[in-house]
Amino acid sequence: MSLNVERDGMAFTFKGGMLPMTVMELTSADPERIRDQLADKLSQSPAFFQHTPVVLNVEKLDEPHLALERICAVCRAHKLLPVAVRGGPDPVKQSAWALGLGWFPPQESARARPLESVAPVEPETDEVELAEPQATAGVVSGGRIYRGTVRSGQQVTAPSGDLIVIGAVNAGAEVLAAGSVHVYGALRGRALAGIHGDPLAVIFCRELNAELLSVAGNYKRLEDVDPRLLGTAVQVRLQDDQLGIVPLT
Amino acid sequence: MAKIIVVTSGKGGVGKTTSAAAIATGLALRGNKTVVIDFDVGLRNLDLIMGCERRVVYDLVNVIQGEAGLNQALIRDKRVDNLHILPASQTRDKDALNLEGVEKVLDTLSKDFDYILCDSPAGIERGAQLAMYFADEAIVVTNPEVSSVRDSDRILGLLASKTRRAERGEDPIKEHLLVTRYNPARVDSGDMLNLEDIREILAINLIGLIPESEAVLRASNHGVPVTHDADSDAGQAYTDTVARLIGEEVPLRFHQYEKKSLLSRMFGGGRR
Repeated sequence: MSLNVERDGMAFTFKGGMLPMTVMELTSADPERIRDQLADKLSQSPAFFQHTPVVLNVEKLDEPHLALERICAVCRAHKLLPVAVRGGPDPVKQSAWALGLGWFPPQESARARPLESVAPVEPETDEVELAEPQATAGVVSGGRIYRGTVRSGQQVTAPSGDLIVIGAVNAGAEVLAAGSVHVYGALRGRALAGIHGDPLAVIFCRELNAELLSVAGNYKRLEDVDPRLLGTAVQVRLQDDQLGIVPLT
Repeated sequence: MAKIIVVTSGKGGVGKTTSAAAIATGLALRGNKTVVIDFDVGLRNLDLIMGCERRVVYDLVNVIQGEAGLNQALIRDKRVDNLHILPASQTRDKDALNLEGVEKVLDTLSKDFDYILCDSPAGIERGAQLAMYFADEAIVVTNPEVSSVRDSDRILGLLASKTRRAERGEDPIKEHLLVTRYNPARVDSGDMLNLEDIREILAINLIGLIPESEAVLRASNHGVPVTHDADSDAGQAYTDTVARLIGEEVPLRFHQYEKKSLLSRMFGGGRR
């Protein structure tokens, strides 16, 4: 009760949220070229340009200074609303702030560079309890295969790809992946897919009894799961920002 | 070289010490030279269960700290020739133990004995980790109860990562499940987890099932390991467990409710 009373006195609360966002990946810094292409797109699909918020991704541009103000003006003229800039060197960051835009650090995921060799990745958490070497098998293109039961208190992570568990995930255990989580066994612990925000990540399991399911920060507790789905084989994915649990048939 | 077996569980009060005493007794009764070590420094109990509390002079901590020789601290069991007990200290705490000291004690004992049983303290901290660190095999004692199963699961995770075999990348510790305090009647009525559920969650080999029994409490209080009570169900169940531990095949007993009512349900009552 006291919690509610306190809330009444507050003007706002901060909440984390994952919003769908259009990212405009610039391959040219020339405002004229951007204008031409935008005009072309606008004529093709006018419905898209409804003051749509966009993030300007300038990671692929290799220029220390950008005509950011002019690029923004071009976007606004075509009913796109730049809200932030992603990547770029420090001067770009400063001018983004000067224009009242947010700035995001560049995307440093391995997915952007899939061809680089990937070393076996250790979980980056403090609660690391790796099982014996033979229980952790090979690493497949940034993903990870774990053979054996993930036990209470253990945490198994695939920080840059899919996690495949050939065995059960017991209550009190946690499995996390940047991509999807596949459990070929009972899922009784916590499973978090898309931990870097990938909304397309999916959780698959043979027997659903998970304490917690999360895809890209959207989560469901066991309590919130339709009891008819418990103990069955399912996939869990994001549908309209909601976790949807669908039987695997 | 002795086989080092840790008796552990995570959760307290599930029957680790009772089981360590009973299994050590069973191994010795079959002619194996056996020593059982109490790692529960500060909460010494094994000596009581073994009925040798009045003969404790030196203990494990004294040996590790060089205040006494191993032979001074070892207590010879009065009932079985091949059985020795290395008691814990009641006045110290678990910080008095260290890895090098434990290793030295185990190495020395290893030369003279066939089996070394380490009776682990509850918990997952230093005391429990020292007890399991050098083990070749582990007996994970579990009650048919959700919290006990979860704690056993946690201990199994530690056995696979925080032990010498795991750190050196040697063959993993052989893990055995020992279910204690099993009451088939209460399992049938749904009060207790059933054996299959426990096995499915923990996914390790079952070495024994000890029924909930009055004989266990009686044995503890008399300081006579229940294995000596050959007429009791628990005594027989521990004898079976020991046989499986040394590689014999013994059918499982005491896991089913003696259903007098089943017959009457099938044939009685005049239905059908």
